[in-house]
Amino acid sequence: MPKVVVTGLGFICPIGNDQATVVNSLRGQRHGLTAYSRFEGPNIPVRVAGLVKDFETESPDPEDWKYPAQYKIKRETLRGFAPHVLFGYCALTQAIADAKLKPEDVSNLDTGMFTASAGSAMMLHHNLSRMEKHGVMKCSPLGIVASVVGTLSYNLVAAFKILGSSCGFASACASSGHALGFAWEEVASGRQKRMLVVGGEDGNLETILPFAGMRALSLNPDPNTASRPFDVARDGFVGAGGACAMVLETDEEAFKRGAPVYCEMPGWGMASDGYNVAISHPDGSGLIQAMRVALRRSGLEPGEVDYINAHATSTPIGDTSELRALKAVFGTNHIDTPAISSTKALTGHGLSLASILEAGFCAAAIKHGFMPGSAHIQNLDPEAAGLDIIRETVNERPHVVMSNSSGFGGANVALVFKSAT
Amino acid sequence: MPVYRTVPNPLSPEAELELREQLKRCSPETLESVLHYRKTGDPDGVSQVVIGIIERFLDPEVRPRLRAGGDGLRIFDDLGIDSLTMVEVVMLVEDVLQIKINNDELRDLRTIGDVKTYIDCRVKGLPLPERPVHVHVAEILAIMPQQPPFLFVQEATLRSNEARGVYKIAGDESFLEGHFKGNPVLPGSIMLEALGQLAVLFLLKTKRPELTAPVSPAKIFFTSCDGVRCQRICRPGDILTLTIKPKRIKHPLGMFEGHITCGTEKVAFAEEICLTFDYLAPGEVVGGNGQHASNGEQGRSSGEQGAGSRESKPASIATDVPVANRILPK
Repeated sequence: MPKVVVTGLGFICPIGNDQATVVNSLRGQRHGLTAYSRFEGPNIPVRVAGLVKDFETESPDPEDWKYPAQYKIKRETLRGFAPHVLFGYCALTQAIADAKLKPEDVSNLDTGMFTASAGSAMMLHHNLSRMEKHGVMKCSPLGIVASVVGTLSYNLVAAFKILGSSCGFASACASSGHALGFAWEEVASGRQKRMLVVGGEDGNLETILPFAGMRALSLNPDPNTASRPFDVARDGFVGAGGACAMVLETDEEAFKRGAPVYCEMPGWGMASDGYNVAISHPDGSGLIQAMRVALRRSGLEPGEVDYINAHATSTPIGDTSELRALKAVFGTNHIDTPAISSTKALTGHGLSLASILEAGFCAAAIKHGFMPGSAHIQNLDPEAAGLDIIRETVNERPHVVMSNSSGFGGANVALVFKSAT
Repeated sequence: MPVYRTVPNPLSPEAELELREQLKRCSPETLESVLHYRKTGDPDGVSQVVIGIIERFLDPEVRPRLRAGGDGLRIFDDLGIDSLTMVEVVMLVEDVLQIKINNDELRDLRTIGDVKTYIDCRVKGLPLPERPVHVHVAEILAIMPQQPPFLFVQEATLRSNEARGVYKIAGDESFLEGHFKGNPVLPGSIMLEALGQLAVLFLLKTKRPELTAPVSPAKIFFTSCDGVRCQRICRPGDILTLTIKPKRIKHPLGMFEGHITCGTEKVAFAEEICLTFDYLAPGEVVGGNGQHASNGEQGRSSGEQGAGSRESKPASIATDVPVANRILPK
């Protein structure tokens, strides 16, 4: 079975729009959360969001958008985009350049693309409102492809002229973990030599605010403390947007191209809670199983894991069940257990984007030799007793890293990365 | 044929503001033309409005082509406007000119000239122009007595008084090996042949009142031509637009005028191409896949008249993919 390696990364996210900035933010624990102007209103209890900087995508008309001049996008390509498709396009452009892929390395029968997105609530709302107000014949002919759940896949597969496998994944906050996991299967099984994986989220009012209705968002108006996974006073997550792209390929293919290798992806696992549509299992049963499957498929023991990027979104219930799951898999002997942090303290929770964004952080952490600390913890949740929750960045290279994600319906994914050398 | 009459509604200040917003990415001249039309009902500048709206949807590097090109400029092939962009164009045109364009009418608009004529008729309340017949490669293969490697019409649009065809020089045509040595140039005689073939297609496919019966594909031959001028050297990769217009058709002769363009450049002109034809004889069997293709001896093309009869295959049928592939643009 071929080894699967990571050869390219691209980031458009609240803590930076390029890898260097993202790595600096992670090392320095600089968060990307701000007061969101569209949350200013008497009926909106939420204030803070993780917004992408240097992009203006509030208009439903892509021709009104502003984005960094280095990205050249033709109107005919842009017109079917939702905001997160634009983020995804830019992140993928970075990842392709990072992996030193030429256009013919991207567009061939051995290269596929998996994406993860929940569609664009903003575009869907705009187009349906327009349909009701002006009639269906006055709606944009690209309204559907810009709105519905597959929008990231349709647009990027066409724009990058993908000829191999393609598919979009929608499993809420585990989506891009599933996309990465199945992309790994695609390469490890030999069906494809290379997979491009992209996750994205609009991260605007339409995406985030509905979570306030389920009491999942932090009502804390202070951007410096609103997202604080594992803190006893955490009161919900901070919504975020952006995109992340990752290139997976066989080690043989990477070697042949002389591509820089971030790390190996030795395996992944998934399992479900079978418990509740929106609430994670109190003991993290599905996540426990996902982590065990991931380790088994990677041929690793729990004691070999150096760092875990936790899903922990800063919700009271979710963080607790993950802490319990981590204790079940890795024990409570603080000395031998892996370093654990949640980078959502810095980025907020990117929903469909979250899993691949954090997988990208893990690959960057292995390459650049650090483990990002879990920011904003003033009083550590006693549930974490026995676990090594790192609050400051540790400047040591982790060799084996795991990244967890959990989504609605109790879907859990654990991804494993390890240094290639 | 329905006759449309469009009377614009009076323009309220709110409507004018909305118009300005809708047209904010069009040139100022386009906005002015729309406002003029909406305020006065004067239809003269309206076709320029449509060109201005098409321009707004083009990539900046393609825009000069629209400005330089004539009415023959093809919306898809020359400007890269796909059917979804065409819907965007139509929605904006409908909104600002307050007319309704039907989907099936939209499909017939292939060139800038088609669009101008259509919009002009609509706002002036004139009858719409005749709907053209589009003939694709498979049908051309089925209809024509000429076959690859000696067929130089790859698609065609027929009207009662005009035919347009397309020939893309693939580069692997056998005659280019010797014309010229190491320097492939399309022979002028082949240009003339291509126009002659388009005229053959016109005679076989168009129902002209002068034609009292279906024309036999086995009985069309070249007789003469006059006033032929070649103006541009054409090489592999060039896409030639062929146009013929009937000057006079009276059994057994059909006379046509023809010209060829490549993009916006003139390629060749023929003042007169004359073909002789005869009708299908009672009981004459037409081979191939139906009523049109020839059987027995094939009609010789204009370029090989007098070359003597030669054994020829029955015409290819529409599903003959390998043959079709040979003349499709590469």
